Amino acid sequence: MAKELRQIAIYGKGGIGKSTTTQNLTAGLAENGKNVMIVGCDPKADSTRLLLGGLAQKTVLDTLRETGEDIDLDLIVKEGYRGIKCVESGGPEPGVGCAGRGIITSIGLLERLGAYEDDLDYVFYDVLGDVVCGGFAMPIREGKAREIYIVGSGEMMALYAANNIAKGIQKYAKKGKVRLGGIICNSRNVDRETELLRAFAEELGTQLIHYVPRDNIVQHAEIRKKTVIDFASESAQADEYRDLAKKIEENKHFVIPKPMTQDRLEEILFEYGLMDAVEDYKI
Amino acid sequence: MTEINQSIQSNTIVHPRYGCAIGAVNTVAAIPRGIPIANCGPGCADKQYFMLSFSNGFQGAGYSGGGAVPSSNVGENEIVFGGHKKLDELIKASLKIMDGDIFVVLTGCAVELIGDDVGAIVKEYQQKGYPVVHAEAAGFKGNNLVGHETVVKAIVDQYVGEYKGRKKKGLINLWFDVPYYHANWRGNNIELKRVLEGAGFKVNILFGSESAGTSEWKEIPKAQFNLVVSPWVGLDIAQHLEAKYKQPFLHVPIIPIGEEATTEFIRNVVAFAGIDNKKAEDFIKVEAERYYYFLEHFSEFFSEYWFGLPARFVSVGEAAYNLAITKYLTDQIGLIPAKQIITDNTPEKHRNNIRELFHGISDEFPLDVEFIEDGYLIEQQVKNVDYGSSVPLILGSSWESDVAKELNGLLIPISTPIVSEVVINRTYVGYTGALTLLEKIYSETVRG
Repeated sequence: MAKELRQIAIYGKGGIGKSTTTQNLTAGLAENGKNVMIVGCDPKADSTRLLLGGLAQKTVLDTLRETGEDIDLDLIVKEGYRGIKCVESGGPEPGVGCAGRGIITSIGLLERLGAYEDDLDYVFYDVLGDVVCGGFAMPIREGKAREIYIVGSGEMMALYAANNIAKGIQKYAKKGKVRLGGIICNSRNVDRETELLRAFAEELGTQLIHYVPRDNIVQHAEIRKKTVIDFASESAQADEYRDLAKKIEENKHFVIPKPMTQDRLEEILFEYGLMDAVEDYKI
Repeated sequence: MTEINQSIQSNTIVHPRYGCAIGAVNTVAAIPRGIPIANCGPGCADKQYFMLSFSNGFQGAGYSGGGAVPSSNVGENEIVFGGHKKLDELIKASLKIMDGDIFVVLTGCAVELIGDDVGAIVKEYQQKGYPVVHAEAAGFKGNNLVGHETVVKAIVDQYVGEYKGRKKKGLINLWFDVPYYHANWRGNNIELKRVLEGAGFKVNILFGSESAGTSEWKEIPKAQFNLVVSPWVGLDIAQHLEAKYKQPFLHVPIIPIGEEATTEFIRNVVAFAGIDNKKAEDFIKVEAERYYYFLEHFSEFFSEYWFGLPARFVSVGEAAYNLAITKYLTDQIGLIPAKQIITDNTPEKHRNNIRELFHGISDEFPLDVEFIEDGYLIEQQVKNVDYGSSVPLILGSSWESDVAKELNGLLIPISTPIVSEVVINRTYVGYTGALTLLEKIYSETVRG
């Protein structure tokens, strides 16, 4: 019997650690013998750097521009750590063209070239920032990712973004099969972060699937262009990512999120102390 | 009730009757030695040529229109990565290959959506002294009438430029027909220019055979005033010029057709300009005498033709000629207006004014007008009119040919598209055009 391919999209505020989290957790899945592909949906093309040991491959859109559509899949899919297949959609230079359309084009091309027909267990889409336009929602269109995880932290702006992303997911979920699988907390060591994230997740109708603590070892590994699992396999942080991988592997909790109003969001932030911190600085 | 609810709306439009904003490539092509550069997807500009020129009296492409328009033909590559480079190459190549005096880059939907900074590319050429202008002409901004106004304003701002010198008394900038869209525009321009010059003015006509091209455009700021002869198109241009050059404007919403209207038009313009009216009155005398010489002969036919003349008419078309022709036929010929439908998606802010103008056409007929764009609804309306015992007269576009046939009526094409006639330099305006219009209507009538 053919394996069921799980397609997963990772969203979250810019700079929150989506790419780091995705690469580390896919390293965990690969360790367990899973066949994984990562599709980086960011013009910066840095979603697979830790798995490939650098920005090693040509992006789909660069290849398309230089060679045209008649290309071999090998040109754009490179194998990284433990055979994880790495694809970077790429995009235009900053400030020109349309990155959203670029994502649509490159995922369309990957499909035509048969990138998904392999013996894959997982495809992860690592998507830039917010769901700003139709292009950035391409990975959650019908027939693509059905599971979404939002990476967040206890910082206010990360939660604003997460709530906004939930609105995008809700829109697509009502028409199709895409569901929210949970919130991944990539800790910023903010006060009462776990409680806040748990309350936030609950309000959305989802779960805090894992709390990834802050550890400098992540930065050390990144400097060496490696995932933590690759760089310091025995470290506690590596186990955190393995845990996250396991929880995703076993996750059965998929929901249509219930995004909250701005007022409600701010109430939660207030309740869990973020606003108190502001009071502390009052003269 | 809101304004919008007073017009009949449908969610679909069959039978398109105008083009999109990038149809203004035809506006540029109408300037002698003006070269449009279409910065849009393949087919956009060509479709506009087909709609507004070919399927509209088979007007031809002229020096730089139709298939000669340089286009960036943007594809997936330009959409994703931006089209700066391709446009830059296109402008360079166009300047080299196309022998023109002004080049206008019109940017269409796809490129506007991705946000290419076309202005920055064009500015480099402007700084080097090339006569290149850019205009935002995305179809989502409006139809070809809006596009026409946008392009004119862009040329004024980027090519004509600043002017603080003296005005020339008696020099008029005429803002009148939209080139190609009004199938008779070339003949109409000839007639209106003739009329105004006969009355003692000098006219910057700006488009078509009577225009001197870019040297005339450079004269725009020197004109004493702007004359808008149209219910709404061109008003925006006149207001822009008023603010830019402190140039007043006179708005004549009803295009003059026939002796009475044209004579009144001349007197209005002369009074507004404050020039001596001697020349104008001499001209009016000659023209009026000639007009009535012919009308007298026509009236013999009109009163004695016993085989059935149309009495009631419907008019389906854009605001300008619907209004002007309805007024002429009602006021001067004595036909009965039975249904008037405006199809040009007139901006909401102008609609009430146009309603009032229709209302005031005749003392005996407080005439209503409707704004409908969907051909299906229009056909229903035309069918339901009571034409009495006479043959139905339908002034419309070629889209009305089916319903005209069904009603056994006469179809006189007055608006886009027109595929049953070849239009060269015909006019229905002024002194001479009115007679041509009568010829047209009654030739169809006697043909049966």
